[in-house]
Amino acid sequence: MIPQKHLEMVRMGLRSLVGYPMRTVLTMLGVVFGVGSVIAMLALGAGAERELLQEIGRLGIQNIIINSIKPEEPKDAAQRSNWISSYGITFKDHRQIVDTIPGIERALPVHVSKKTVWHGSRRVEATLYAVTPEHLDMFDLNTSFGRNLTHLDDVKLSRVCVIRSGMLKELGIYQDPIGFPLNIDNETFYVVGVLAEDSFLGYARKALSVDAKSSEIYVPYSSILMRHGTRSITRRSGSTEATDVELNQVVISVTDLDQVLVTARMLGTLLERNHPNKDYELVVPLEVLSQRQKTQQVFNIALVAIASISLLVGGIGIANIMLATVTERTKEIGVRRALGARRHHIIAQFLTETITISTIGGAIGVLVGVGLVQVLTFFTGWSAAITLSSVILSLSISMAVGIISGIYPARRAAGLDPIAALRHE
Amino acid sequence: MKAPVISLQGVHKYYGEQEPRLHVLKGIDLDVAEGEYVSITGTSGSGKSTLLNLLGCLDNTSDGAYLLNGRDVSSFSDDELSKIRNEDIGFIFQSFNLIPQLTVFENVQVPLLYGPRSIAATTHLCHEVIESVGLSDRSEHLPSELSGGECQRVAIARALINDPALLLADEPTGNLDTGTSEEVLTLIDELHQQGRSVVMITHDPEVANRSQRRVDLRDGVIVEAGAA
Repeated sequence: MIPQKHLEMVRMGLRSLVGYPMRTVLTMLGVVFGVGSVIAMLALGAGAERELLQEIGRLGIQNIIINSIKPEEPKDAAQRSNWISSYGITFKDHRQIVDTIPGIERALPVHVSKKTVWHGSRRVEATLYAVTPEHLDMFDLNTSFGRNLTHLDDVKLSRVCVIRSGMLKELGIYQDPIGFPLNIDNETFYVVGVLAEDSFLGYARKALSVDAKSSEIYVPYSSILMRHGTRSITRRSGSTEATDVELNQVVISVTDLDQVLVTARMLGTLLERNHPNKDYELVVPLEVLSQRQKTQQVFNIALVAIASISLLVGGIGIANIMLATVTERTKEIGVRRALGARRHHIIAQFLTETITISTIGGAIGVLVGVGLVQVLTFFTGWSAAITLSSVILSLSISMAVGIISGIYPARRAAGLDPIAALRHE
Repeated sequence: MKAPVISLQGVHKYYGEQEPRLHVLKGIDLDVAEGEYVSITGTSGSGKSTLLNLLGCLDNTSDGAYLLNGRDVSSFSDDELSKIRNEDIGFIFQSFNLIPQLTVFENVQVPLLYGPRSIAATTHLCHEVIESVGLSDRSEHLPSELSGGECQRVAIARALINDPALLLADEPTGNLDTGTSEEVLTLIDELHQQGRSVVMITHDPEVANRSQRRVDLRDGVIVEAGAA
């Protein structure tokens, strides 16, 4: 048979769908909502995964981050060994890591301290990040005004800084901020750059121990270390807190992606030996990513499985209506058989109808799903991504639903005895 | 005499699997020659419908041979019988049996869907057949918009579309009033005059008298066969 004949059959088959618009629409609804919810669930899953990738990918999957953590202190002051609490990663650790662990491209030291920043009479409590110039590049911290920190700043122990734009407002700076003096610990640092407004999200913020606030100031690592040392004393309403943390953070990047986990294990062993009191934390973005992806996948499968139930219900709806239709159109089936239709023609006719219902329903369902996603993201702020593969997947599923739900009614129609069918009133 | 289109030889038909089986046709011998117009009459329960189903290849014989155009179709498969119904037999039913959601033109096209010829090549033919039954101006109408007589003419056009050797009419005027009955019967007469073989089942002696030969069926046997 030629395709044109099939088209003609399809065209005539559609007549019966158009002939009963209400029934067709109601039958379609099951598939529409089924596909719509599958699309929405897949989109939300994909959105969550994309956000996860962005968030953790920002940390660099080839990186390993070591943070110093303040260990639990004995409550009784008398038991403290020293009035200065000294903990965390030391220069010695850093040297050992660089010297003994293979495959490390660089190990960037970071020193963090809380400082009060003055500009005239305005005061801001800020967090000072003493970093090497590579640090800003590594985490895509780009300046929107001025320049980044450079090696020359580091070598010259320059008193320059890069700040967040939010701080300008807090300090009351409204003119060109470049070259502006800021007083930090009685020393004047000049603003050379303002970071683009973009902050670390959720997990990345925690892993890098960056504040949620805008008061971050990046200064050259050597300038702070050489001028201020590593001790910091904070006086707060009668109590004095002194800490001595040599390195608050070390960001290690590994040359080979395959070696990240091995290197992480070696780092773990080394730090465990040097720091029995566990005053550090090892963050391996790659590991976190794969863990979170696994969780996300399980979650996605569960969501889609739940959404698929409505598709299943839609399919049962189609099968149910088609069975009723077969009974209703028994006479027509008899006539067609008398006029020479073979069993497979009758099967094809009914399958055409169910596949049409489910495919059109599926297409409308995709639109409904897209709309649903828009509404959900608008009202909840969740991130969602509608992928081509999810559209193709749900359309194929809806077509399959049409075929599966049509097979039984169609076979029943084809199995009717032509004589009995003709006599049916 | 021309070769018979239909030749029934000792045909029996039983219904049911277990004894006692219902014995409906009890040894029918019947020949219908090419171009002959035969009417089959009988009371209800005489086996008319069963005979028509056999003649129309809707059913197989239980015993005996049925030769249609010289081929024994009594042991044909379902698909083979479908092919014969499509190509060699034109059905005209009492209740027209048009498909309600299709237009006149599409109803006439239906047998073409199941045959070997392409739809595009036969569009012209459909128009011709519809014109021959006098419904050219109605070809885009739905059956519900037509009168009973017009519906039966559409059904006749549909029966003719594949140019079958045999027209099988089952009480073609049973649902029509006298005036339209006459129109339809005249049309059937014309078809017969054009050289088609016609077998018509009817309970109406008046209608039966228009045929060349009457076959009277009683209790599954032919009791009277002769010129009408």
